[in-house]
Amino acid sequence: MKKLLAIIKREYLQRVRSRMFAVATILGPLMMTVFTVVPAYIAGIKPGTPTRIAVVDETGRLYDRFRDALVRSHDAENEESSDQKLPPIPTNSNQRIKMTGRLSEARFSVEEIDHEGKSLQEIKSNLNERVRTGDLDVYVIIPKDVLVSAKSEYYGRNTGDIFTRETVETRLTNAVREQRLVDEKVSPKVVSELDRRVNLTSTRVSDRGEEEDSGGGFYVVFAFGFAIYVTTMLYGQMVMGAVIEEKETRIAELLFSSTRSFSLMMGKLIGVSLVALTQVVIWMLAFVLISLVGAGMLAAHGKSITLPHIAPMMFVYLGLYFTLGYFIYATIYALVGSMVTSIQEGGQLALPIALLLVTGFCLTFPIARSPNSSLAFWASMFPFFAPITMLVRIVTETPPFWQIALSLAIGFSTVIGLIWITARIYRVGMLMTGKRASIPEVMRWIRQA
Amino acid sequence: MELTKPTLILEHVTKRFSNFTAVSDLSLQVRPGRVFGLIGPNGAGKTTTIRMIVNITVPDSGRIELFGQRLSITLQDRIGYLPEERGLYRTMRVGEQLRFFAELKDLRGTQADDLIDIWLKKLGLSDWKHKRTKELSKGMQQKIQFIIAVIHDPDLIILDEPFSGLDPVNVQLMKETILEEKAKGKTIILSTHQMEIAEKLCDDVCMINHSRKVLDGRLREIRRSFARHAVALQFEGGDGIINDPDLVANVRESGDDTEVLLAPQANAQLLLRRLVESGATINKFELVEPSLHDIFIEKVREV
Repeated sequence: MKKLLAIIKREYLQRVRSRMFAVATILGPLMMTVFTVVPAYIAGIKPGTPTRIAVVDETGRLYDRFRDALVRSHDAENEESSDQKLPPIPTNSNQRIKMTGRLSEARFSVEEIDHEGKSLQEIKSNLNERVRTGDLDVYVIIPKDVLVSAKSEYYGRNTGDIFTRETVETRLTNAVREQRLVDEKVSPKVVSELDRRVNLTSTRVSDRGEEEDSGGGFYVVFAFGFAIYVTTMLYGQMVMGAVIEEKETRIAELLFSSTRSFSLMMGKLIGVSLVALTQVVIWMLAFVLISLVGAGMLAAHGKSITLPHIAPMMFVYLGLYFTLGYFIYATIYALVGSMVTSIQEGGQLALPIALLLVTGFCLTFPIARSPNSSLAFWASMFPFFAPITMLVRIVTETPPFWQIALSLAIGFSTVIGLIWITARIYRVGMLMTGKRASIPEVMRWIRQA
Repeated sequence: MELTKPTLILEHVTKRFSNFTAVSDLSLQVRPGRVFGLIGPNGAGKTTTIRMIVNITVPDSGRIELFGQRLSITLQDRIGYLPEERGLYRTMRVGEQLRFFAELKDLRGTQADDLIDIWLKKLGLSDWKHKRTKELSKGMQQKIQFIIAVIHDPDLIILDEPFSGLDPVNVQLMKETILEEKAKGKTIILSTHQMEIAEKLCDDVCMINHSRKVLDGRLREIRRSFARHAVALQFEGGDGIINDPDLVANVRESGDDTEVLLAPQANAQLLLRRLVESGATINKFELVEPSLHDIFIEKVREV
């Protein structure tokens, strides 16, 4: 037992004191932010100047409305969203698309084409020429009967820019709708009221009754789920690296002459798990601290936001599933490590493990949408997916307790089984050098050891 | 008859791997306070034998008794082991590394720290205590590993090829240190394929070849029993005499000397007389004990 502690201590201290740990701790959340926000932002960038749009209004009545819609509505919508809570980091896909859309709403400079006395053909060829020379980006022809036919024509150099097209379409639709209403003698005040958006306040109905829940809790736990995924991957590979190092440098022989191979393996798994835990706790504390400071600063500016409320039980589940995920994957990584002879070989053999982990993570999206589907049920019972998928179910629509208990039981039984198998492979594999072990060999080790 | 109980007894120990037998029906005894040489060429089964003694692998059959007990994991703390396959944590500092391995042998606290300093000083490595292991030369790393093998004051020290890769100065230092440990009453098992070193250090030897024991016993007795008239010669003239198969079994040049192994029916006097009669000028004529190397070769040929 004292020896096990010595091993855990070594694994822990050597890693926590390393420069790598400090770098990963600081860069981890930064990278996470970068990976979620930057792609969304980049996708939304519309480079260059405002889109120059020309409008041929054959009705003679729509131009002003359309122009106002194009130029003004952007600001209006922004204003609207600013009385909402802080927009959270968009981690779910719907949200991300919405934000992308908002960012991509182009600015426009609008010009009216006087079409009096010219044929449409003439105007078009004229405008086409301007588009070709780059003097103009887009032009729209609003036919006389637009209010009835609801058809209009859009010309541009880059029709692949679906964002601009969408925006133009929406704005024109708005303009046409308003015009129709005005034609029906609806008062302008009513018309402007018609466009007001409705804000949804969502309330979660659970066994505990009604709880105000804006869905913010989801983002928090999603962030934790993501942290589980990242740390499991990171630290699983760290365990594998450590195993391979001891094998490559032949330290294993010296170690095995001092203590049981089982203590060595467990010491490694536990030591590295504590490193992971340290890192996650640092992240969580930083997260809480930043949230509190952020909320405080907003409060000082007279705006108040409600921090997402997370039930204490959530943290218990989080801890349990974190432990489960770590031990399942770290044990497999240790197994792979004791089979191979170099980090490179390990990397190749470990690829399927990473795929398994990624699959589990990807299942989050369908499960968040329908947490009681049979897909969600089976995915959360499958021990290799459970650490992330069950957590998502618990947050979105807590399943009956027996399901949670069952998934934990299956999960931890799997861990015990994996440790049993890995200990056997480890004991033999660590002393085998020179070539990668084949599957039949490994099977024999399991039987013999 | 031995008065003292052997430190280690192997009885009919066999270890097989999937397609070959590494150790076959090996029996031996290692007596306390002596240096025991486990000798044989590479691949003879020395390392496998040692791995069974330190409880890294388990024999398929046979019995191993250490310190009068059946071998078990708890006895590992009383063994110090320098494996042939050396390895240290590259990025750990020397002091921390020694401390860790001491803890694995159940040695901790200030006692461990003191011993680390004593040993580093003894092997001239005090200045390196806070350096990272990877900054050390190979020879230095080997000395660190030697310290790991002896720091917890084990009763049995097993050294697998302890001199390979060391320069002459360090070979000498290592030899002295090994003999000091012996003087403290430790039992030492020295595994090597370098027979000249075994000859100088060992009290007892066991020779193995192709997984089997070829010969074992006290080195002095073995040599005496093999002192079958080997002669070191320096001479001029006397053409053809030493090539007479009735007189000489084997000839070997060894530096300035010509070493001859006499044929079974011949003796040294006969050889000397024949040389004198032939008119050869004899500068040196010395009866020598055969080297372990010669004994080994001869035994292997016999088998």
